Amino acid sequence: MDWLFAYQPDLDAICIGSLYALSQFIALRAGLFSLGSAGFGSIGAYAAAIVGMRHGAPLPFALLLAVAVAVVSGLLLSVPLARLRGHFQAVATVAFVEIVVSLALYFDDLTGGPSGINGIPKLVGTGELLLALTGMMALCTITERTGIGRAFGAIRQDDLVARSLGISVVRYHRLAFALSAGIAGLAGGLAAFNTYTIEPEQFGFGLLTASLGAVILGGRGSVIGPVVGTAIFVLLPEVARPLSENRFLLQGAMLIVVITFLPRGIVDSLRDRRALARERRDSSPPLVAARSP
Amino acid sequence: MIAQQILNGLVVGAVYALFALGFTLVYGVQKILNLAHGGVFMWGALIGFFVVTKLDLPLWSALILGMTGAGLLGMGLELIAFRHLRRRKGDDLSTLVSSLGANLILVNMAQRVTNSQIESFPFGTFPIRIWRIAGIAISLQSIVILGCVVLLVAMLLLYLFRTHFGAAVRAVAVSERTSVFLGIAPGTVFLQTFFIAGALAGAAGVILGVAFNSVSYDMGEPMMLRAFVIIVLGGFGSVVGAVVAGLVLGVVQALSVALLSSALSDAIMFGVLILLLLAMPTGLFKGFDTEARRA
Repeated sequence: MDWLFAYQPDLDAICIGSLYALSQFIALRAGLFSLGSAGFGSIGAYAAAIVGMRHGAPLPFALLLAVAVAVVSGLLLSVPLARLRGHFQAVATVAFVEIVVSLALYFDDLTGGPSGINGIPKLVGTGELLLALTGMMALCTITERTGIGRAFGAIRQDDLVARSLGISVVRYHRLAFALSAGIAGLAGGLAAFNTYTIEPEQFGFGLLTASLGAVILGGRGSVIGPVVGTAIFVLLPEVARPLSENRFLLQGAMLIVVITFLPRGIVDSLRDRRALARERRDSSPPLVAARSP
Repeated sequence: MIAQQILNGLVVGAVYALFALGFTLVYGVQKILNLAHGGVFMWGALIGFFVVTKLDLPLWSALILGMTGAGLLGMGLELIAFRHLRRRKGDDLSTLVSSLGANLILVNMAQRVTNSQIESFPFGTFPIRIWRIAGIAISLQSIVILGCVVLLVAMLLLYLFRTHFGAAVRAVAVSERTSVFLGIAPGTVFLQTFFIAGALAGAAGVILGVAFNSVSYDMGEPMMLRAFVIIVLGGFGSVVGAVVAGLVLGVVQALSVALLSSALSDAIMFGVLILLLLAMPTGLFKGFDTEARRA
């Protein structure tokens, strides 16, 4: 069991990172080009830390508040941003992340300014994190399997067609914003009670890159992808110690290689390959020839 | 006091414009949001720094070498991060991710080279000379900066609108398919635009590195975020818009930092960006393909 203990911080990091990645994942599923997860995470983390530390609220209440505040801000943000598409939406959500960072720096009597909030009790361990991750993976899977997921899929492929099928794109985009914000808010709240300290810059461009990168690396097709992507990002520098100084170089190179040669991510590409192999075994050759590119 | 802030803002804004020009040019020609542009800018500054400190060469050669180096880095980006994606018909998300990856690599390399320290130029790299005219302090440095930016922008505009090469760039920006029928090789044009964009970013890097006397691996990110504001305000892909918006941003930022606080100034700046996207998504000027058709 000792080795598990030694890697516990990594496991915690994977759980929190995976939650952010799931938040990014659900946005992409609905065809949103939103990169706002880091901002929602910040809002959740500060909400939880402030009520938990200053007002002595119990952990479940603090986490619930983190999710609630994040969902509300997600819904508010969705009102203007659901009107934007593509690059415009991406730029606007990056601006949102930066606004959250600068406001957290500015209102220092509430947030502690640049030094952040320190000495937060560690109430969240690996068990709670695993529980939360499982719960959110289940939530995302359920969303995928129901009509919501099919509507998301239709909008992602072509929002004009979705509209012609009677799907309210605005309403589903709002829902996606709320889901994405809620998951990120939970991640932020859990992180606040897991890592003792939060500060504004930790929820900036770096976190945005990491959560988007994890989804792309792992795959956008199922909930496993974001988790696998995060695990690779966290574990690779640990497994290969000499590489740890070049962590970002490694991440960057992986992102370029994966998006170029496995554009659907590791998990989904493997799954495709297996499905293709199964088909090759089961069916007659001409069908395979028609299928392969 | 206010006049002084406006002048300072114009100088910084001119450098912002220089940086954003390359970013908007790449967007205008190939519809890529190149998030590695900040990394290229930072490497331009680093190369300039090493030219001055390690090679003991004068500052003007640092500017030229920084520009060349950053331009070559830009071409490297195109070859490594974007060329294959274009062949595979990558979407908006894939080019964005690829450029993010490239930026991570550039930042990591800079961290290794500088040991994550903030470097500063040796004292007296740029002579300090200040004149007072009507109560406004005007330094030699700000005059040289403005001069450099005006020269570079004029060269870019001449290149784009008065030369054969520029005509090819504009043709590709309007329609890549049609340009092929006209005997233009889009691949070469893309390499050219990336070199120019990189060189402009490199120039901005060297100038800003000297002006603020600090060069570090993380100097690209805030510039990148400002380029977002500029590209939205000026119009996605508009070359003229980038210059105007850069100057406006510089002045507004100088005034709001002086009158409010720098953290709040950022919040206001990005808030305005979101409002602009909603109210005026095309920005002040039409995009590059409209400009390209003219002249």
